[in-house]
Amino acid sequence: MTFLRVNQLKVHYPVRGGFFRKVIGHVKAVDGISFELKKGETYGLVGESGCGKTTTGRTIIGLVKATAGEILFDGKDLTKLSRREFVQYRKDIQMIFQDPYSSLNPRKRVLDIVAEPLRNFEKLSPQEEKRKVQGLIEKVGLHSDSVYKYPHEFSGGQRQRIGIARALTLNPKLIIADEPVSALDVSVQAQVLNFMKDIQKEFQLTYLFISHDLGIIRHMCDRIGIMYRGQFVEEGTKDEIFHDPKHIYTKRLLASIPNADPLRRQEQQKLRQQIEKDYEQLYSRYFDAEGRVYPLKRISETHSVAIP
Amino acid sequence: MKKTEYSPFSVLWREVVKDKLALSSLLLLSLILFIVYGASIVLDQEEIVKVDLLSIYSPPSAEHWLGTDYGGRDILGQLIIGARNSFTIGLAITLLTGLIGLTIGLIAGYFGGVIDNIIMRIIDFILILPFLMLVIVFVAIVPKYNVFTFILIMSAFLWTGKARLIRAKVLAERELDYVSASKTLGTPDWKIIVREILPNLSSIIIVNLTLNLAGNIGIESGLSYLGFGLPESTPSLGTLVSYATNPDVLQNKWWVWLPASVLILVMMLCINFIGQALKRAADARQRLG
Amino acid sequence: MVKFILRRIMMMIPQLFVLSVLIFLLAKAMPGDALTGQLANNPKMDAQTLAEMREKLGLNDPLYVQYTRWIKNLLHGDLGLSYVHQQPVTDLLAGRMWNTILLSLCILVLTYAIAVPLGVISGRWQDSWADKLIVGYSYVSFATPLFIFALIMLFLFGFKLGWFPTGGSVDIQLEEGTFDYYISKLNHLLLPSLSGALISTVGIIQYLRSEIIDTKVKDFVRTARAKGVPEAKIYSRHILRNSFLPIAAFLGYEITGLIGGSVFLESIFSYPGIGQLFLQSIMQRDYSVVTALVMISGLATLIGTLLSDIILSVVDPRIRID
Repeated sequence: MTFLRVNQLKVHYPVRGGFFRKVIGHVKAVDGISFELKKGETYGLVGESGCGKTTTGRTIIGLVKATAGEILFDGKDLTKLSRREFVQYRKDIQMIFQDPYSSLNPRKRVLDIVAEPLRNFEKLSPQEEKRKVQGLIEKVGLHSDSVYKYPHEFSGGQRQRIGIARALTLNPKLIIADEPVSALDVSVQAQVLNFMKDIQKEFQLTYLFISHDLGIIRHMCDRIGIMYRGQFVEEGTKDEIFHDPKHIYTKRLLASIPNADPLRRQEQQKLRQQIEKDYEQLYSRYFDAEGRVYPLKRISETHSVAIP
Repeated sequence: MKKTEYSPFSVLWREVVKDKLALSSLLLLSLILFIVYGASIVLDQEEIVKVDLLSIYSPPSAEHWLGTDYGGRDILGQLIIGARNSFTIGLAITLLTGLIGLTIGLIAGYFGGVIDNIIMRIIDFILILPFLMLVIVFVAIVPKYNVFTFILIMSAFLWTGKARLIRAKVLAERELDYVSASKTLGTPDWKIIVREILPNLSSIIIVNLTLNLAGNIGIESGLSYLGFGLPESTPSLGTLVSYATNPDVLQNKWWVWLPASVLILVMMLCINFIGQALKRAADARQRLG
Repeated sequence: MVKFILRRIMMMIPQLFVLSVLIFLLAKAMPGDALTGQLANNPKMDAQTLAEMREKLGLNDPLYVQYTRWIKNLLHGDLGLSYVHQQPVTDLLAGRMWNTILLSLCILVLTYAIAVPLGVISGRWQDSWADKLIVGYSYVSFATPLFIFALIMLFLFGFKLGWFPTGGSVDIQLEEGTFDYYISKLNHLLLPSLSGALISTVGIIQYLRSEIIDTKVKDFVRTARAKGVPEAKIYSRHILRNSFLPIAAFLGYEITGLIGGSVFLESIFSYPGIGQLFLQSIMQRDYSVVTALVMISGLATLIGTLLSDIILSVVDPRIRID
């Protein structure tokens, strides 16, 4: 059942300084994380900005080079592949980008944007290509005439749908969605998310869903990994994370979700204060001397927490 | 929000047409070029450069509209041939430096790292060289000196500014997600550079090339004025102006050098006004995002 | 800060080295060598002695040996011998160098004297008729080639109106050191430097204009205005203070332009400086002078850029991050 397996992945960037610009240290964007994706599920990667979740996604798809560790996809280690060998796996892993404005080339028509992967991998006649692109564009809920328009003629939500159509063109197995709705209006977010759920069923997709928004994660994901400073803090199913969080960082994160019900505001307030107090008192139990978390420890079949 | 047309050329074109100064510059320049290139086909260069000792330094008359020079040669004819040569060679240098600068700038900006570092060090070095003096030295010592070598010598120095500009723009552009997207879609690097990034730089390139064209015509005619520009077989506007090194010509025979000076000035002003309008257009577009 | 300056100077060393190698190779590529000139003056010299002298001067040594010797001489201030004038290049340069430095200084002073007030007026009264006039002038001056502008200036003010002398650096009848001598010198400088300055103002005008336009709507200026600081004081204390240092820093970058400009200006106004000497030497194939001049110009630009970079890095710390 294991579809993608990330093993002790590390991405470090050298920091240069001093007179001769020698390497004096490393920024550890991703520091030894491991997780698995099962076919057809949605795995959520959550954390504050700068915690390394985006870097993780970009490393899996090959935009960032891994410093160490393995990414096993269909039993093949993607980090060991040369660029040319990687091309075969391109078809199977695709990405939806955060910013629908910069992720579509403003100089290209929708037809050329969506057909770009087809032109790289499949030799189609212009008619076939157009038919296929129009089919995809209709699938994502846009009119088939849209293929002759330029990206600036669409709204943010529509642009994101074009980005999704492009990612679907090659019938991928895994889609990495990097904050796919955070640049969109809240009113459009639900629309795009539900649409993503629909196509997941239809195309039997596996999602690696990266977000900082716990509400969205709860809506979308089956299993969740919480990241903090390049490491995993806690991993578990949606229920385990939301109803039985074990790590103080996860608890704090969950407490920060705003509550829409004004009657329960008092209650929420009290809960937050309680957790804040716990956090201060129990800090040393959850973080080591350098402020980093401990290695993950398995506490049930599906639930792991970083406690000593 | 909705615009029917979005090609950079049409946007730039619209801006130039709207700008009265730029539009009249464009019309005037087209007129000049039309006359110059048209007439130079009809004109017989042999006839013009033939020495006529009977009409040395004759002032403007019905026979010689702009008078003659020290060899009795018709100034108007030389003016037309000179303008043609100056403009053609200015254009050739602009295009060649554009091509070199673009290629190197794209490569340095897109790949970065060691390649970028080496290229930037070379550019930094060329930029501190005393350009004018070195060009003159090269012109003086190159064995088989002709128009082609002149273009090469000039281009060897003048590509650097463009490469730097393009590199800076590519550095900004390659951080955008559409480039990452192309990578994840399996598009090869050269295709990303040519098909994805290059079209987004087109307005900057057009502006830069236009302004450079004016500059290059100025540098070429300046060098020809000093006697280190185009070889004698290819007279330039600068060659005509250089007759003014003789104080007698400068003071008393204005028809020899003044028309060429004015023509250079007018051409450069026109091209610059067009270029400035294009620049404003390109900037405004960027602000709109 | 010190680190930045040190690193910047370190970066200069390879540039200097490559520059010297380039010029050395150019000098080698130039036709003729140190003996060609002597041969012309002394036609009796036969091939045998010539070959011996070549050997003695080390002209048959491998290139790198010759290069090291050349560099050593250069560091000792020995720039070789002018074949045409039969005197050391250093002597030949001394007087003319001063003339060129004087001319360049005059151009710089005039450029700043014209550009700074115009830039300030243009930025402060944005979109007034004065601003439009100044912007128009800066466009035209940007497009005008120096040699044409200088020729027209010479034609109009030198010949037609007769306001200025038309050539030379000083009236030759005057005795050096007298008051009249200096006045005459200044008089000769005025037209060339004005020609150079009037068309090099565009950079400063545009920089100042846009800086002022940007700064005058910033919050700290608004605060000052709200506090009741008089408008003149807002400009002198708050707005201009930020803009002037970068402008001063541009000085070093101007050197390349000044060297190129001096070649044109000195040739047009027959002003005896190194630009004119350069053109004469290259026409007379006096290559040791040419080599020396290119090396000096290269060095001057290098140091100019270095100074500008350092001043700018003091003004704007962001530059220091390489």
